[in-house]
Amino acid sequence: MKDRLDFSLLGALLRKNRQERAAAFKKGNFNAVGFIFRVLLTLVLIAVFVVFFGEFLEIYLKVETGGAADTSARLYEVLTIVYAAVLIAMIVGAISQINRALFSADDIKIMSALPVGAKTLYVSKLITIYLSQLVFALVCVSAINLTAAVHAPQGGTFYIFTVLACLFLPLLSVGVASVLALPFHAVKTALKDRFVLSFIVITVVTAALLLVYAWLLRGVKELLLGDDLRYFFNESVMASVAALVSALVPANFIAGILLGRNVLVGSVAVLAALLVCTVLSLFFIRLILARAMQSRISGGGNAVRRKKGLKKQHSPLAALMKKEFLMIFRTPNYMFSYFAVALVVPLMVYFCMSIGSSLVVRLIAVQCDLELAVFLSLLFGSLANVFCTTNISRDGAMFYSVKAMPVDPKTVIFSKVLLCLVVTALSQLLSAALLCVTGYLSVPYAFFLFAVGALFGFAQICIATRIDFSYAKFSTEPDGEIKESGNTVSIMIVAGLVISFLVGGAVVLIRMMFALRGLAGQFAYLTFVVAGVVALVSAALGYFFLMHNLKVRYYRFSGGWL
Amino acid sequence: MADEQQVPQADDIVRVDGLYKKYAKKANWAVENVSFAVRAGEIVGLLGHNGAGKSTTLRCLEGMLPFEKGSISICGKNIVKDPVGAKANMGFVTDDHAVFVKMTGMQYIDFMADVYKVPQGERAARLAALEEIFSLGDSIHNLIASYSHGMRQKICMMGSLIHKPRLWILDEPMTGLDPRTMRAVQDFMLSYAKEGNGILFSSHALGTVAKICDRVVLIRKGKQVSDVNVKEIAAQNPQFDFEEYFLQNERQA
Repeated sequence: MKDRLDFSLLGALLRKNRQERAAAFKKGNFNAVGFIFRVLLTLVLIAVFVVFFGEFLEIYLKVETGGAADTSARLYEVLTIVYAAVLIAMIVGAISQINRALFSADDIKIMSALPVGAKTLYVSKLITIYLSQLVFALVCVSAINLTAAVHAPQGGTFYIFTVLACLFLPLLSVGVASVLALPFHAVKTALKDRFVLSFIVITVVTAALLLVYAWLLRGVKELLLGDDLRYFFNESVMASVAALVSALVPANFIAGILLGRNVLVGSVAVLAALLVCTVLSLFFIRLILARAMQSRISGGGNAVRRKKGLKKQHSPLAALMKKEFLMIFRTPNYMFSYFAVALVVPLMVYFCMSIGSSLVVRLIAVQCDLELAVFLSLLFGSLANVFCTTNISRDGAMFYSVKAMPVDPKTVIFSKVLLCLVVTALSQLLSAALLCVTGYLSVPYAFFLFAVGALFGFAQICIATRIDFSYAKFSTEPDGEIKESGNTVSIMIVAGLVISFLVGGAVVLIRMMFALRGLAGQFAYLTFVVAGVVALVSAALGYFFLMHNLKVRYYRFSGGWL
Repeated sequence: MADEQQVPQADDIVRVDGLYKKYAKKANWAVENVSFAVRAGEIVGLLGHNGAGKSTTLRCLEGMLPFEKGSISICGKNIVKDPVGAKANMGFVTDDHAVFVKMTGMQYIDFMADVYKVPQGERAARLAALEEIFSLGDSIHNLIASYSHGMRQKICMMGSLIHKPRLWILDEPMTGLDPRTMRAVQDFMLSYAKEGNGILFSSHALGTVAKICDRVVLIRKGKQVSDVNVKEIAAQNPQFDFEEYFLQNERQA
């Protein structure tokens, strides 16, 4: 029988997808505080982007080429580059979503046994992915275009085409992602069960992305340190920008249509791109779905590990820590979110330090390397420690099994905290050592930085674990892996950022205040007092928050399931 | 058929008295006034229809779930007052076969042996004995994530027995096992009980229950209906049909 698209079934499948998503908002599952934090975090990110993008536009639109300013051409270049970045982000997101929907979601296994055509099933998945991409496009494109319109007023067609761009961008991203989903899955499968190799690949890729980030930061630094920012964009830089823009197909055509440049050619090119994407995605439907069904039914490989006998006896704490380590190390998402990120945090701190140190001296004529290092260590350390918000949820049903074992609650919880602390302390130690070796900090200062970072890390781990204890949410995925970040993550990100800015900002401000009065030397100890005391108090409070009534809460724990 | 009187005895391995359990946001008791005991050398079956409260009772016993009223003691140790001491005497297999899937079978056994503080010198012999019964073969070196349902069941059983518990609790133990292993598990349960240990398990497999259980506790809608010595009844009445007895009890509901 030919596999046709069944619209009545498609409606039922879409309804099922919608109901599954809506479950998170049902009474009992809905965490209002976390949701508000999540929305706030998104709004803050948008606001920061709008402010910086607006400032950049203000400068860039006045850049002259050939001795004359051309606002329209500059706007075209900016929009092309930004749309390309948005499109790349959307494609990466869509590849991950397609893989998750087809290779990880449990419903494929059930659906394969029901009279649902492959095409109908895949289209229902694609529509759901398209809608989530549409929301992302709406947020990004409207923020970009409205900011652009404020700095370079546009006509009515600009706004109409903005809406059309929001509708078309997800079509392009989902189409391209359909093509790339299989190679991505092949790489994932090749790395599956090769945990050490996965760890190396993931860490190297993260570090490489970080280099790009550092390069961008250096550019920003150059821009900010220049006497006149417009001098940065000289004829040779502008020629490179023009070459880049002409290569960024179809983002340049979309920007062109919005600004009324070569509308006809642009429209034809965008429509052609859409057509190609649609045809390619339809072509890959059968291929992806056949592979997905096969892998879901066969249950994947049966990797035989090295035959090792029973190990020497460990204490229950060591056994639980080992269990925790294996669980994180052998789950690629967890491994990336924690181990790889914690390993590249020192690089992030170093790159930002190398840029920030001279920038601060240039801007306020005050040397405050230690204070800046404290701020950066706290900031990046807190982002890595966000992973600890799943310390309880990660165990899933096994948390109950561990509860049934003859182990003291303190040992169970400490095994989690201790493993995280080892990772955090190692990360902070590497950060401090790197700054020491590169001459930014003396040995005693580096030791102080390590101590402050580790203490704050400990506080954050304790608080994150305690919050997860109260709002644990076990995964419903077949492999028990938590694939979506919960509201607790947003809370911890916001809290981490606030603390980093408060403490880091406070020590930088104190240093500046006394330095400007020529008293920097006399009051240098204040940095140690403020950061040290706050770190110690935070660690003590975090420990108390976690340990208070732990035994009772542990034995009365009965949450976790939706 | 009169129920046995629950009089505390010295050889009680597990003793449940007036157990009450209610889930949050539910109006009714999930378990209401359940009392029974498992003595040394006994195999006790916990029976009831789906949702009767068998798994909840077992989870309270294992210390997984808190309960509102009543008391549970394992080898004389109260599960609330001395949870670690009580749990050290118990091995359990849950109905969902919850197990750390990112470990290999061997790593899981190692983990359980560490948690239950099994002496290093005894581990290899105990593992070999369990391997005889459950025969996982080379699969024990594979990641548990790659195991079939039955293999997971086997590794859960092996992990729960590595410390030779006085009380072995199993929730639906025969589900997913192949006939050979099912027979091996039944034989093992009988011999393990003969060594003076207690076994408590829930099941819908009435044939198995009739064959190996000394006593049966029936639960209906969270309430205990009966606690009878099926072996004694069968000895007194050779025509006794356990399946008919169970269904008759269900019909009376």
